[in-house]
Amino acid sequence: MERFTRIWNALLTPGALVLLGLFLVPLALVVVFSFGTVDILGRPVLGFTTDNYSQVFQSYNLPAVWRTVLFSLATTAICVALAYPVAYYCVRFAGRLGPVIIVAVVAPWLVDYLVRIYAWRTLLSDGGIINNLLGDVGLGQVHVLGTSWAVILGLVYGYLPLMILPLYATLGTFDFRLVEAGKDLYGTPRAVFAHVTLPASRPGIVGGCLLVFLPVLGDFATAQFLGGPNTTMAGNLIASQFTEAGAQTVGAAFAVVLIVLLVATLALTFGLARRGLAAAATAGAAA
Amino acid sequence: MRERPRVLRLVTALVMAFLLLPVVVVAVFSLNGERSLVRMGALDTRWYRTLAHDGDVLSSLAYSLEIAVATAVISTALGTALAIGLRRASRVPARTTDAAILLRLVAPETATAVALLLLFTQLSIPLSTGTLLAAHVALTLAFVAVLVRSRLANLDGQLEEAALDLGATPLQAIRLVILPLVAPAIAAGALLSFVLSFDNFITSFFATGIGTQPLPVRIYSMLRVGVTPEVNAIGVLMLAIVTLVLGGSWAVGRAVSKRRGVRI
Repeated sequence: MERFTRIWNALLTPGALVLLGLFLVPLALVVVFSFGTVDILGRPVLGFTTDNYSQVFQSYNLPAVWRTVLFSLATTAICVALAYPVAYYCVRFAGRLGPVIIVAVVAPWLVDYLVRIYAWRTLLSDGGIINNLLGDVGLGQVHVLGTSWAVILGLVYGYLPLMILPLYATLGTFDFRLVEAGKDLYGTPRAVFAHVTLPASRPGIVGGCLLVFLPVLGDFATAQFLGGPNTTMAGNLIASQFTEAGAQTVGAAFAVVLIVLLVATLALTFGLARRGLAAAATAGAAA
Repeated sequence: MRERPRVLRLVTALVMAFLLLPVVVVAVFSLNGERSLVRMGALDTRWYRTLAHDGDVLSSLAYSLEIAVATAVISTALGTALAIGLRRASRVPARTTDAAILLRLVAPETATAVALLLLFTQLSIPLSTGTLLAAHVALTLAFVAVLVRSRLANLDGQLEEAALDLGATPLQAIRLVILPLVAPAIAAGALLSFVLSFDNFITSFFATGIGTQPLPVRIYSMLRVGVTPEVNAIGVLMLAIVTLVLGGSWAVGRAVSKRRGVRI
């Protein structure tokens, strides 16, 4: 096993250096400069101040931070609610149609994300396609564009496939005879679902939730095109600090807050998962 | 029992409609004879003709394709080598790299993109094609590494041990044993890097300098200024390109595996 270690290390090195230089070092820079200050020209300089963080948690920014968490949670919850029936139907009832449906679910990804989000804008706008249709049927107008609902709709739209795929994969390995067995043992459909199917699909649910929740935390294009002045997310604030007249150091502090949220989510998820496993193991040992 | 599939089928149908609706809107309105994004006029190819004469968009398209091909080549080479080396490299570098790959896959793109911008400004590197390419490689490398590594994990590790025992040098073992076995994962990694790079907006947005913009960034600027239905035609064109690349490689992969008599 110990043979040729130098060669294996040499193979690892170039890729590892790319990750180090273009990912880890920049992330460390973000952390360092989130405590830095800016010079007269607005360029970040090293220093130690917590001003950037107090600016992040200013009363006018705070709603955006909360909104980001809230939107991400809502999007994730809606995605689970929509994706679970789809994945379940594809695995259990769709037969040969199942894989076709899954391909159709992924297909929209092949169209540029911004173009698709803009299509929603034209669909939802006040004089847009949906409102024209509603008007023709005599149902009146709905004002959606620019509201939180439009942003959440766009986020669900953008990330739903990332929930369907892991659920489909997990349910694909589930033995549905267990459901029959549960029914034979006089379980109501609801009880069988709660005690058999749902626990078995937990890995897919957890995986899908991470795949949706984490990228939604950092999204900014959706809120920019579908939202209004009152739907800004953390991603928008970071982007504007770096591209428009803003301070890169404040943007860096925002990015650190985002990463902390992310790490907290991961730690919480895996902590809960481990506790769940431990509990199951104890229960198993007791039985 | 018979009741449940009906509800599930309805939900599935609605979700599919929800996901496909914007794509249909883009495709239909790309053929709109009128300059409206909400009212459909007579069918016409005028926006495709506009696109065919739009030098800015066409050069952005060529630029995006170049960057995507270069990203795919570099990321696939580095990512594959990394995944192969990872299995037998010394403990500490291997563990550290492993953690970095995982972190890379879950880190929010907005944060990593501004981090790179900060690095470039600190080192006084002007944004250019080089910075854009570096950013795309840094983004896609981890995906290639994960794909190749999971394929390697499913292989019998003793195969290369056997090759080494029989007197093969490590490079021979890699070339003659490992690479042919992980070829499907390498191909998948290359395709994924291509598509991720071609469609990428967030990272490109922060890593693009003055001069030619990659197509998604160009679309973003077009959408911010004022929209023409030309954007729909661009969307359809990008869809066609990605479908062609993916479909083409799928066909090639099938032909190759048929000739070799291997099931991938």
